[in-house]
Amino acid sequence: MNILVTGVSKGLGLSITESILQKGWNVYGISRSMSNELQKLSDAYPGHLFWISYDLSDTDNVKNDIFKDWIGFETEMHGFVNNAALAYDDIITNLNIASLTDMYKVNVFTPMNITKYIIRQFLLHQIKGSIVHLSSISVHTGYKGLSMYASTKGALEAFSKNTAREWGEVGIRSNSLIAGFMETEMSSTLTTDQKNRIYQRTSLKKAVEKTSVAETIVFLLSEQSQSITGQNIHVDAGTI
Amino acid sequence: MLDKLLIIINTVLSNRGKNPISAITENSHLRNDIGFDSLDLAELTVRIEAAYDVDIFEDGIVNTIGEILQKIEK
Repeated sequence: MNILVTGVSKGLGLSITESILQKGWNVYGISRSMSNELQKLSDAYPGHLFWISYDLSDTDNVKNDIFKDWIGFETEMHGFVNNAALAYDDIITNLNIASLTDMYKVNVFTPMNITKYIIRQFLLHQIKGSIVHLSSISVHTGYKGLSMYASTKGALEAFSKNTAREWGEVGIRSNSLIAGFMETEMSSTLTTDQKNRIYQRTSLKKAVEKTSVAETIVFLLSEQSQSITGQNIHVDAGTI
Repeated sequence: MLDKLLIIINTVLSNRGKNPISAITENSHLRNDIGFDSLDLAELTVRIEAAYDVDIFEDGIVNTIGEILQKIEK
């Protein structure tokens, strides 16, 4: 199995990459830069991790740089994990349209364009591929300062559900994985007090483990989830 | 060129569980004559692109075999 994953150099993307490699599958990984951790994974699983540097704010060169020149039309692809995301956090009255546009490019427009070409790749090789979009619990609960970020993830959830409906008849699946708050770089700007308040809103009273999210993604990519599509799967420590 | 297109078209029809056709002309309409729906046309597009390196739907809708030939031969 060949899986395209974005944002592989750190945080959750690194965990997802590791879980996929442990499964014996191949990762076609995209990030802006190579990290020491990703290089270690590459060394530990020789011939299973392919990587290019690509800035996902570039919505225009997805076809040429990712699919034509790198993956190649002849390569069978089986899944796409839309993991990379930019978090532009602020209250709405401070909304800066340039920052908002940049975030939409990385979080929504480029992933939608990648979805276009991964579905084409599935069609060319008659693959019943699986797409997983990483969403956020902020879409469903609301947090002060996250309205703009949450709106990008809400867009992805709608896109995923409609992808599932549109392409289900050829066996292509799409699901959203709704992650709760994890200890990653993305949440590193939060204070301990802010984090504790977030964790108090969960049933388990703690952060979501990256490995739990990563393993659920592997499940959604696998044959075991063949009847699951168009769903929002919450891995959020029971946020209520 | 028409022969090769016919093979591609029949591959799509077969993959989608539809009956093959025996001939096409430049006037053949993709939906009305060949019976393609939008998902069939998507698969046709990727197969033509793999063969000819042209995305026939990149700048608008194509309706007939003749219009496909124009795009490929451009």
